[in-house]
Amino acid sequence: MKSQKRLVTYFIIIFIPFLVFSCEKRTSEDRCDYDGVRIQPLYAVYFSLKDGSEKQFCSMVCATMSFSKLKDRIEEVIVTDEASGTKIAASEAFFVESEMVNVPHVKNRIHIFAKKEDALKHLQKFKGRWVENPFYYSVK
Amino acid sequence: MILNALSITMIFIGALSALLAIWGGISSLILYRKWGRPSRPEEKTSLEDRSYLVLLIMVIVLLVRLINWPLFYATLQSIISDIEGAMCIFGVTQVKPGLTRFLELLKPVNFFLIGGWLILHILDRATKTSPLMKRKLLLLSVLSLLVLIDSFGDILLILRIAPESLVSCCTTITDILNRPTRTTPESIFGPEYARPLQGLFFITHLALMGLIGVSLKFKIFHRPILVLLFLFSFLNAILFLLSQIEVFAPAMMHLPFHHCLYCLWQYVPDSILLFAFFSLGTFSVGWGFTTDLFGRHGETADLLPIYLRKIYSFAFFFLSASLIMLVIHLLVD
Repeated sequence: MKSQKRLVTYFIIIFIPFLVFSCEKRTSEDRCDYDGVRIQPLYAVYFSLKDGSEKQFCSMVCATMSFSKLKDRIEEVIVTDEASGTKIAASEAFFVESEMVNVPHVKNRIHIFAKKEDALKHLQKFKGRWVENPFYYSVK
Repeated sequence: MILNALSITMIFIGALSALLAIWGGISSLILYRKWGRPSRPEEKTSLEDRSYLVLLIMVIVLLVRLINWPLFYATLQSIISDIEGAMCIFGVTQVKPGLTRFLELLKPVNFFLIGGWLILHILDRATKTSPLMKRKLLLLSVLSLLVLIDSFGDILLILRIAPESLVSCCTTITDILNRPTRTTPESIFGPEYARPLQGLFFITHLALMGLIGVSLKFKIFHRPILVLLFLFSFLNAILFLLSQIEVFAPAMMHLPFHHCLYCLWQYVPDSILLFAFFSLGTFSVGWGFTTDLFGRHGETADLLPIYLRKIYSFAFFFLSASLIMLVIHLLVD
Protein backbone atom coordinates (compact mmCIF):
# COMPACT_ATOMS: atom_id res chain seq x y z
CA MET A 1 0.00 0.00 0.00
CA LYS A 2 2.85 2.31 0.95
CA SER A 3 4.69 1.58 -2.28
CA GLN A 4 1.53 2.27 -4.29
CA LYS A 5 1.18 5.68 -2.65
CA ARG A 6 4.82 6.38 -3.41
CA LEU A 7 4.23 5.36 -7.03
CA VAL A 8 1.28 7.75 -7.33
CA THR A 9 3.37 10.56 -5.80
CA TYR A 10 6.18 9.98 -8.32
CA PHE A 11 3.58 9.87 -11.06
CA ILE A 12 2.25 13.31 -10.13
CA ILE A 13 5.71 14.82 -9.59
CA ILE A 14 6.89 13.58 -12.98
CA PHE A 15 3.77 14.79 -14.73
CA ILE A 16 3.93 18.44 -13.74
CA PRO A 17 6.84 19.24 -16.13
CA PHE A 18 5.12 17.17 -18.83
CA LEU A 19 2.00 19.25 -18.52
CA VAL A 20 4.07 22.43 -18.76
CA PHE A 21 5.87 21.09 -21.84
CA SER A 22 2.67 19.89 -23.44
CA CYS A 23 0.90 23.21 -23.11
CA GLU A 24 3.81 25.20 -24.53
CA LYS A 25 2.90 26.76 -27.87
CA ARG A 26 5.30 26.11 -30.72
CA THR A 27 5.81 28.99 -33.13
CA SER A 28 6.00 28.31 -36.86
CA GLU A 29 6.56 31.75 -38.38
CA ASP A 30 9.50 30.87 -40.61
CA ARG A 31 8.95 27.14 -40.83
CA CYS A 32 7.75 25.05 -43.74
CA ASP A 33 4.09 24.02 -43.42
CA TYR A 34 4.91 20.61 -44.83
CA ASP A 35 7.95 19.31 -42.93
CA GLY A 36 8.64 22.04 -40.37
CA VAL A 37 12.11 22.96 -41.68
CA ARG A 38 13.31 26.56 -41.38
CA ILE A 39 12.63 28.32 -44.68
CA GLN A 40 15.33 30.01 -46.72
CA PRO A 41 13.37 32.94 -48.25
CA LEU A 42 15.12 32.59 -51.64
CA TYR A 43 13.48 29.22 -52.33
CA ALA A 44 10.14 29.72 -50.60
CA VAL A 45 6.77 28.93 -52.21
CA TYR A 46 3.49 30.34 -50.87
CA PHE A 47 -0.13 29.22 -51.31
CA SER A 48 -2.82 31.87 -50.78
CA LEU A 49 -5.90 29.95 -49.72
CA LYS A 50 -9.52 30.84 -50.47
CA ASP A 51 -10.24 31.40 -46.75
CA GLY A 52 -7.62 34.21 -46.69
CA SER A 53 -4.90 32.24 -44.90
CA GLU A 54 -1.46 31.42 -46.31
CA LYS A 55 0.70 28.30 -46.40
CA GLN A 56 4.48 28.55 -46.86
CA PHE A 57 6.92 25.91 -48.02
CA CYS A 58 10.70 25.56 -47.99
CA SER A 59 10.97 24.24 -51.57
CA MET A 60 9.17 23.24 -54.73
CA VAL A 61 9.22 19.63 -53.51
CA CYS A 62 7.26 20.39 -50.32
CA ALA A 63 4.92 22.72 -52.23
CA THR A 64 4.10 20.14 -54.91
CA MET A 65 3.59 17.40 -52.27
CA SER A 66 1.12 19.66 -50.44
CA PHE A 67 -0.49 20.86 -53.65
CA SER A 68 -2.35 17.63 -54.34
CA LYS A 69 -3.93 17.76 -50.89
CA LEU A 70 -4.77 21.46 -50.87
CA LYS A 71 -5.58 22.19 -54.52
CA ASP A 72 -9.31 22.69 -53.92
CA ARG A 73 -8.57 25.40 -51.35
CA ILE A 74 -5.84 27.30 -53.25
CA GLU A 75 -6.52 30.78 -54.62
CA GLU A 76 -3.04 31.63 -55.88
CA VAL A 77 0.48 30.20 -55.89
CA ILE A 78 3.35 32.63 -55.26
CA VAL A 79 6.96 31.63 -55.91
CA THR A 80 10.32 33.34 -55.34
CA ASP A 81 12.68 34.44 -58.11
CA GLU A 82 16.02 32.83 -57.34
CA ALA A 83 17.95 35.61 -59.06
CA SER A 84 16.46 38.57 -57.19
CA GLY A 85 14.51 37.11 -54.28
CA THR A 86 11.28 38.87 -55.29
CA LYS A 87 7.93 37.15 -55.00
CA ILE A 88 6.02 36.54 -58.23
CA ALA A 89 2.92 34.63 -59.31
CA ALA A 90 3.73 31.04 -60.34
CA SER A 91 1.91 31.58 -63.64
CA GLU A 92 4.49 34.27 -64.61
CA ALA A 93 7.59 32.33 -63.57
CA PHE A 94 10.04 30.19 -65.58
CA PHE A 95 10.90 26.76 -64.18
CA VAL A 96 14.20 24.99 -64.84
CA GLU A 97 15.32 21.56 -63.64
CA SER A 98 19.09 21.30 -63.41
CA GLU A 99 21.96 19.41 -61.78
CA MET A 100 22.19 22.00 -59.03
CA VAL A 101 20.47 21.18 -55.74
CA ASN A 102 19.26 24.27 -53.87
CA VAL A 103 17.38 22.73 -50.93
CA PRO A 104 19.48 19.67 -49.98
CA HIS A 105 17.13 17.87 -47.54
CA VAL A 106 14.58 17.29 -50.30
CA LYS A 107 17.16 17.32 -53.12
CA ASN A 108 15.20 20.02 -54.91
CA ARG A 109 16.52 20.57 -58.45
CA ILE A 110 13.73 22.80 -59.75
CA HIS A 111 14.73 26.45 -59.95
CA ILE A 112 12.40 29.40 -60.40
CA PHE A 113 13.13 32.63 -62.26
CA ALA A 114 11.15 35.78 -63.06
CA LYS A 115 13.18 36.59 -66.22
CA LYS A 116 13.69 34.21 -69.12
CA GLU A 117 17.33 35.30 -69.59
CA ASP A 118 18.17 34.40 -65.96
CA ALA A 119 16.52 31.01 -66.43
CA LEU A 120 18.41 30.46 -69.70
CA LYS A 121 21.73 31.38 -68.06
CA HIS A 122 21.09 28.87 -65.27
CA LEU A 123 19.96 26.25 -67.76
CA GLN A 124 23.20 26.52 -69.75
CA LYS A 125 25.47 26.72 -66.73
CA PHE A 126 24.02 23.74 -64.81
CA LYS A 127 22.91 21.45 -67.68
CA GLY A 128 19.24 22.17 -67.12
CA ARG A 129 15.99 21.70 -69.02
CA TRP A 130 12.74 23.62 -69.11
CA VAL A 131 9.90 22.26 -66.98
CA GLU A 132 6.27 23.33 -66.96
CA ASN A 133 4.72 25.18 -64.06
CA PRO A 134 3.56 22.30 -61.83
CA PHE A 135 0.71 24.45 -60.51
CA TYR A 136 -0.38 25.81 -63.92
CA TYR A 137 -3.22 23.50 -64.95
CA SER A 138 -4.97 23.41 -61.65
CA VAL A 139 -4.92 26.99 -60.43
CA LYS A 140 -6.44 29.81 -62.44
CA MET B 1 34.12 10.23 -39.16
CA ILE B 2 32.46 13.07 -37.28
CA LEU B 3 33.95 13.72 -33.87
CA ASN B 4 32.06 15.40 -31.09
CA ALA B 5 31.57 14.66 -27.38
CA LEU B 6 28.77 12.15 -28.03
CA SER B 7 30.40 10.30 -30.91
CA ILE B 8 33.63 9.94 -28.92
CA THR B 9 31.59 8.63 -25.98
CA MET B 10 29.89 6.13 -28.31
CA ILE B 11 33.25 4.87 -29.62
CA PHE B 12 34.69 4.69 -26.09
CA ILE B 13 31.67 2.82 -24.70
CA GLY B 14 31.60 0.59 -27.78
CA ALA B 15 35.29 -0.36 -27.50
CA LEU B 16 35.12 -0.95 -23.75
CA SER B 17 31.92 -2.98 -23.83
CA ALA B 18 33.17 -5.02 -26.81
CA LEU B 19 36.32 -6.02 -24.92
CA LEU B 20 34.42 -6.80 -21.74
CA ALA B 21 31.72 -8.67 -23.68
CA ILE B 22 34.36 -10.96 -25.21
CA TRP B 23 35.88 -11.63 -21.79
CA GLY B 24 32.50 -11.89 -20.04
CA GLY B 25 31.00 -14.11 -22.73
CA ILE B 26 33.86 -16.62 -22.72
CA SER B 27 34.13 -16.60 -18.91
CA SER B 28 30.40 -17.13 -18.39
CA LEU B 29 30.40 -20.01 -20.89
CA ILE B 30 33.31 -21.68 -19.07
CA LEU B 31 31.64 -21.10 -15.70
CA TYR B 32 28.35 -22.45 -17.04
CA ARG B 33 30.03 -25.70 -18.03
CA LYS B 34 31.78 -26.04 -14.66
CA TRP B 35 28.82 -24.99 -12.51
CA GLY B 36 27.02 -27.85 -10.72
CA ARG B 37 29.75 -30.42 -11.36
CA PRO B 38 30.98 -32.29 -8.28
CA SER B 39 34.18 -30.63 -7.04
CA ARG B 40 36.28 -30.08 -3.95
CA PRO B 41 35.19 -27.29 -1.52
CA GLU B 42 38.15 -25.01 -2.40
CA GLU B 43 37.43 -25.44 -6.14
CA LYS B 44 33.79 -24.64 -5.54
CA THR B 45 34.71 -21.49 -3.59
CA SER B 46 37.05 -20.42 -6.36
CA LEU B 47 34.31 -21.03 -8.97
CA GLU B 48 31.79 -18.99 -6.96
CA ASP B 49 34.27 -16.14 -6.48
CA ARG B 50 35.01 -16.05 -10.19
CA SER B 51 31.30 -16.15 -11.04
CA TYR B 52 30.55 -13.19 -8.79
CA LEU B 53 33.39 -11.20 -10.31
CA VAL B 54 32.16 -11.95 -13.86
CA LEU B 55 28.59 -11.09 -12.89
CA LEU B 56 29.61 -7.86 -11.16
CA ILE B 57 31.55 -6.59 -14.17
CA MET B 58 28.95 -7.75 -16.69
CA VAL B 59 26.12 -6.08 -14.74
CA ILE B 60 27.96 -2.76 -15.12
CA VAL B 61 28.55 -3.42 -18.84
CA LEU B 62 24.88 -4.31 -19.34
CA LEU B 63 23.70 -1.22 -17.46
CA VAL B 64 25.90 0.90 -19.74
CA ARG B 65 24.40 -0.87 -22.77
CA LEU B 66 20.93 0.01 -21.51
CA ILE B 67 21.89 3.68 -21.59
CA ASN B 68 23.45 3.15 -25.01
CA TRP B 69 20.05 2.99 -26.75
CA PRO B 70 19.05 6.62 -26.03
CA LEU B 71 22.72 7.64 -26.40
CA PHE B 72 22.70 6.22 -29.94
CA TYR B 73 19.86 8.54 -30.98
CA ALA B 74 21.38 11.48 -29.11
CA THR B 75 24.61 10.94 -31.09
CA LEU B 76 22.77 10.77 -34.42
CA GLN B 77 20.89 13.95 -33.46
CA SER B 78 24.19 15.69 -32.64
CA ILE B 79 25.62 15.13 -36.13
CA ILE B 80 22.62 16.33 -38.15
CA SER B 81 24.24 19.68 -38.86
CA ASP B 82 27.33 17.95 -40.33
CA ILE B 83 25.39 15.98 -42.93
CA GLU B 84 24.28 17.96 -45.96
CA GLY B 85 20.58 17.48 -46.56
CA ALA B 86 19.79 16.05 -43.12
CA MET B 87 17.18 17.96 -41.14
CA CYS B 88 16.45 15.26 -38.56
CA ILE B 89 17.86 11.88 -37.45
CA PHE B 90 16.31 10.26 -40.52
CA GLY B 91 18.80 12.12 -42.73
CA VAL B 92 21.73 10.78 -40.69
CA THR B 93 20.35 7.24 -40.95
CA GLN B 94 20.52 7.59 -44.73
CA VAL B 95 24.32 7.91 -44.77
CA LYS B 96 24.75 4.20 -43.96
CA PRO B 97 21.15 2.99 -44.21
CA GLY B 98 21.75 -0.78 -43.95
CA LEU B 99 23.97 -0.67 -40.89
CA THR B 100 21.86 1.99 -39.15
CA ARG B 101 18.63 0.04 -39.73
CA PHE B 102 20.28 -3.10 -38.36
CA LEU B 103 21.40 -1.25 -35.22
CA GLU B 104 17.99 0.38 -34.83
CA LEU B 105 16.44 -3.10 -34.76
CA LEU B 106 19.13 -4.67 -32.59
CA LYS B 107 19.12 -2.01 -29.86
CA PRO B 108 15.53 -2.50 -28.63
CA VAL B 109 16.04 -6.29 -28.75
CA ASN B 110 19.20 -5.94 -26.65
CA PHE B 111 17.47 -3.51 -24.29
CA PHE B 112 14.68 -6.02 -23.74
CA LEU B 113 17.01 -8.99 -23.23
CA ILE B 114 19.37 -7.06 -20.94
CA GLY B 115 16.43 -5.82 -18.85
CA GLY B 116 15.04 -9.35 -18.61
CA TRP B 117 18.43 -10.75 -17.61
CA LEU B 118 18.99 -8.06 -14.95
CA ILE B 119 15.60 -8.83 -13.37
CA LEU B 120 16.51 -12.51 -13.35
CA HIS B 121 19.81 -11.61 -11.69
CA ILE B 122 18.07 -9.54 -9.01
CA LEU B 123 15.62 -12.39 -8.37
CA ASP B 124 18.48 -14.87 -8.05
CA ARG B 125 20.37 -12.62 -5.65
CA ALA B 126 17.34 -12.53 -3.36
CA THR B 127 17.66 -16.30 -2.83
CA LYS B 128 20.11 -18.12 -0.54
CA THR B 129 21.43 -20.82 -2.91
CA SER B 130 21.44 -19.03 -6.30
CA PRO B 131 19.30 -21.65 -8.07
CA LEU B 132 19.25 -19.61 -11.28
CA MET B 133 23.03 -19.24 -11.58
CA LYS B 134 23.48 -21.82 -14.33
CA ARG B 135 20.71 -20.31 -16.48
CA LYS B 136 22.02 -16.82 -15.82
CA LEU B 137 25.51 -17.75 -16.98
CA LEU B 138 24.23 -19.41 -20.14
CA LEU B 139 21.97 -16.44 -20.97
CA LEU B 140 24.83 -14.07 -20.20
CA SER B 141 27.09 -15.76 -22.73
CA VAL B 142 24.39 -15.38 -25.42
CA LEU B 143 23.76 -11.79 -24.36
CA SER B 144 27.49 -11.02 -24.52
CA LEU B 145 27.51 -12.02 -28.17
CA LEU B 146 24.66 -9.58 -28.92
CA VAL B 147 26.40 -6.85 -26.93
CA LEU B 148 29.57 -7.52 -28.92
CA ILE B 149 27.73 -7.20 -32.27
CA ASP B 150 25.98 -4.05 -31.08
CA SER B 151 29.23 -2.49 -29.85
CA PHE B 152 31.09 -3.24 -33.08
CA GLY B 153 28.14 -1.88 -35.02
CA ASP B 154 28.24 1.38 -33.08
CA ILE B 155 31.98 1.85 -33.65
CA LEU B 156 31.71 0.97 -37.34
CA LEU B 157 28.81 3.35 -37.88
CA ILE B 158 30.46 6.31 -36.17
CA LEU B 159 33.73 5.68 -38.04
CA ARG B 160 32.00 5.40 -41.42
CA ILE B 161 29.74 8.46 -41.29
CA ALA B 162 31.53 10.97 -43.48
CA PRO B 163 30.84 14.66 -42.88
CA GLU B 164 30.55 15.58 -46.56
CA SER B 165 27.74 13.08 -47.20
CA LEU B 166 24.74 14.40 -49.16
CA VAL B 167 21.45 12.73 -48.29
CA SER B 168 17.72 13.14 -48.83
CA CYS B 169 15.80 13.55 -45.63
CA CYS B 170 12.48 12.19 -44.41
CA THR B 171 10.10 14.31 -46.53
CA THR B 172 10.86 12.43 -49.74
CA ILE B 173 10.58 8.98 -48.12
CA THR B 174 8.22 8.94 -45.12
CA ASP B 175 5.53 11.02 -46.83
CA ILE B 176 5.17 9.12 -50.11
CA LEU B 177 1.67 7.85 -50.84
CA ASN B 178 2.58 4.16 -51.03
CA ARG B 179 4.37 4.03 -47.65
CA PRO B 180 3.55 0.73 -45.86
CA THR B 181 2.31 2.50 -42.72
CA ARG B 182 -0.42 4.07 -44.88
CA THR B 183 -1.23 1.24 -47.27
CA THR B 184 -1.57 -1.41 -44.52
CA PRO B 185 -4.30 0.33 -42.45
CA GLU B 186 -5.87 1.67 -45.67
CA SER B 187 -6.31 -1.88 -46.97
CA ILE B 188 -8.17 -2.79 -43.75
CA PHE B 189 -10.14 0.37 -42.92
CA GLY B 190 -10.41 2.07 -46.32
CA PRO B 191 -9.33 5.58 -47.34
CA GLU B 192 -10.56 7.16 -44.08
CA TYR B 193 -8.32 4.92 -42.02
CA ALA B 194 -7.02 7.51 -39.54
CA ARG B 195 -9.96 7.54 -37.09
CA PRO B 196 -10.47 3.74 -36.92
CA LEU B 197 -6.72 3.26 -36.45
CA GLN B 198 -6.66 5.81 -33.66
CA GLY B 199 -9.72 4.19 -32.04
CA LEU B 200 -8.24 0.71 -32.32
CA PHE B 201 -5.03 1.83 -30.64
CA PHE B 202 -6.92 3.36 -27.70
CA ILE B 203 -9.03 0.20 -27.35
CA THR B 204 -6.03 -2.17 -27.34
CA HIS B 205 -4.02 0.09 -25.03
CA LEU B 206 -6.86 0.38 -22.52
CA ALA B 207 -7.60 -3.36 -22.81
CA LEU B 208 -3.93 -4.15 -22.11
CA MET B 209 -3.94 -1.87 -19.08
CA GLY B 210 -7.22 -3.43 -17.95
CA LEU B 211 -5.82 -6.95 -18.22
CA ILE B 212 -2.70 -5.96 -16.27
CA GLY B 213 -4.91 -4.25 -13.67
CA VAL B 214 -7.05 -7.39 -13.26
CA SER B 215 -3.93 -9.59 -12.97
CA LEU B 216 -2.55 -7.28 -10.30
CA LYS B 217 -5.81 -6.98 -8.39
CA PHE B 218 -6.51 -10.73 -8.23
CA LYS B 219 -2.83 -11.75 -8.24
CA ILE B 220 -3.27 -14.00 -11.27
CA PHE B 221 0.16 -14.73 -12.71
CA HIS B 222 -0.41 -18.03 -14.50
CA ARG B 223 1.80 -18.75 -17.50
CA PRO B 224 -1.01 -18.61 -20.14
CA ILE B 225 -2.11 -15.18 -18.83
CA LEU B 226 1.46 -13.89 -19.00
CA VAL B 227 1.87 -15.23 -22.56
CA LEU B 228 -1.40 -13.53 -23.53
CA LEU B 229 -0.25 -10.23 -21.99
CA PHE B 230 3.10 -10.50 -23.75
CA LEU B 231 1.51 -11.11 -27.17
CA PHE B 232 -1.09 -8.43 -26.54
CA SER B 233 1.58 -5.88 -25.63
CA PHE B 234 3.40 -6.75 -28.86
CA LEU B 235 0.25 -6.12 -30.89
CA ASN B 236 -0.30 -2.90 -28.96
CA ALA B 237 3.25 -1.78 -29.77
CA ILE B 238 2.66 -2.31 -33.50
CA LEU B 239 -0.56 -0.31 -33.31
CA PHE B 240 1.20 2.38 -31.30
CA LEU B 241 3.86 2.79 -33.98
CA LEU B 242 1.33 2.79 -36.82
CA SER B 243 -0.97 5.29 -35.16
CA GLN B 244 1.96 7.50 -34.13
CA ILE B 245 3.29 7.66 -37.68
CA GLU B 246 -0.06 8.09 -39.38
CA VAL B 247 -2.20 10.04 -36.91
CA PHE B 248 -0.63 11.32 -33.70
CA ALA B 249 2.78 12.60 -34.90
CA PRO B 250 1.33 14.87 -37.64
CA ALA B 251 -1.22 16.20 -35.12
CA MET B 252 1.38 16.86 -32.41
CA MET B 253 3.78 18.54 -34.88
CA HIS B 254 0.99 20.63 -36.44
CA LEU B 255 2.23 19.32 -39.79
CA PRO B 256 -0.76 17.32 -41.10
CA PHE B 257 1.06 15.75 -44.07
CA HIS B 258 4.35 14.93 -42.38
CA HIS B 259 4.83 11.46 -40.87
CA CYS B 260 8.40 11.37 -39.55
CA LEU B 261 8.85 10.23 -35.93
CA TYR B 262 12.37 11.66 -35.77
CA CYS B 263 10.95 15.07 -36.66
CA LEU B 264 8.36 14.57 -33.91
CA TRP B 265 11.14 14.05 -31.34
CA GLN B 266 12.88 17.15 -32.66
CA TYR B 267 9.88 19.49 -32.82
CA VAL B 268 8.04 18.14 -29.77
CA PRO B 269 10.87 17.06 -27.41
CA ASP B 270 8.60 15.82 -24.63
CA SER B 271 7.29 13.18 -27.04
CA ILE B 272 10.62 11.40 -26.38
CA LEU B 273 9.36 10.81 -22.83
CA LEU B 274 6.08 9.55 -24.21
CA PHE B 275 7.98 7.01 -26.31
CA ALA B 276 10.26 6.13 -23.37
CA PHE B 277 7.25 5.51 -21.12
CA PHE B 278 5.53 3.42 -23.73
CA SER B 279 8.67 1.37 -24.39
CA LEU B 280 9.28 0.76 -20.68
CA GLY B 281 5.63 -0.19 -20.16
CA THR B 282 5.66 -2.61 -23.08
CA PHE B 283 9.04 -4.08 -22.15
CA SER B 284 7.91 -4.51 -18.52
CA VAL B 285 5.07 -6.74 -19.73
CA GLY B 286 7.64 -8.80 -21.64
CA TRP B 287 9.99 -8.85 -18.65
CA GLY B 288 7.18 -10.27 -16.54
CA PHE B 289 6.88 -13.13 -18.99
CA THR B 290 10.64 -13.80 -19.27
CA THR B 291 11.05 -13.67 -15.47
CA ASP B 292 8.33 -16.31 -15.10
CA LEU B 293 9.79 -18.36 -17.96
CA PHE B 294 13.38 -18.47 -16.72
CA GLY B 295 12.97 -17.63 -13.03
CA ARG B 296 10.58 -20.37 -11.86
CA HIS B 297 12.92 -22.77 -10.08
CA GLY B 298 12.67 -24.28 -6.58
CA GLU B 299 13.66 -21.59 -4.14
CA THR B 300 12.34 -18.73 -6.29
CA ALA B 301 8.76 -20.06 -6.27
CA ASP B 302 7.82 -17.98 -3.22
CA LEU B 303 9.58 -14.84 -4.41
CA LEU B 304 8.33 -14.91 -7.98
CA PRO B 305 4.77 -13.61 -7.36
CA ILE B 306 6.18 -10.64 -5.42
CA TYR B 307 8.56 -9.81 -8.29
CA LEU B 308 5.89 -10.30 -10.94
CA ARG B 309 3.60 -7.97 -9.03
CA LYS B 310 6.30 -5.29 -9.00
CA ILE B 311 7.09 -5.74 -12.71
CA TYR B 312 3.45 -5.53 -13.78
CA SER B 313 2.87 -2.52 -11.50
CA PHE B 314 5.70 -0.81 -13.38
CA ALA B 315 4.13 -1.83 -16.69
CA PHE B 316 0.77 -0.42 -15.61
CA PHE B 317 2.39 2.80 -14.40
CA PHE B 318 4.40 3.43 -17.58
CA LEU B 319 1.57 2.52 -19.94
CA SER B 320 -0.77 4.86 -18.01
CA ALA B 321 1.83 7.63 -18.11
CA SER B 322 2.30 7.34 -21.88
CA LEU B 323 -1.46 7.29 -22.45
CA ILE B 324 -2.05 10.36 -20.27
CA MET B 325 0.74 12.24 -22.05
CA LEU B 326 -0.72 11.37 -25.43
CA VAL B 327 -4.23 12.42 -24.43
CA ILE B 328 -2.97 15.71 -22.97
CA HIS B 329 -1.10 16.42 -26.21
CA LEU B 330 -4.09 15.65 -28.37
CA LEU B 331 -6.37 17.81 -26.22
CA VAL B 332 -3.96 20.76 -26.05
CA ASP B 333 -2.89 20.57 -29.69
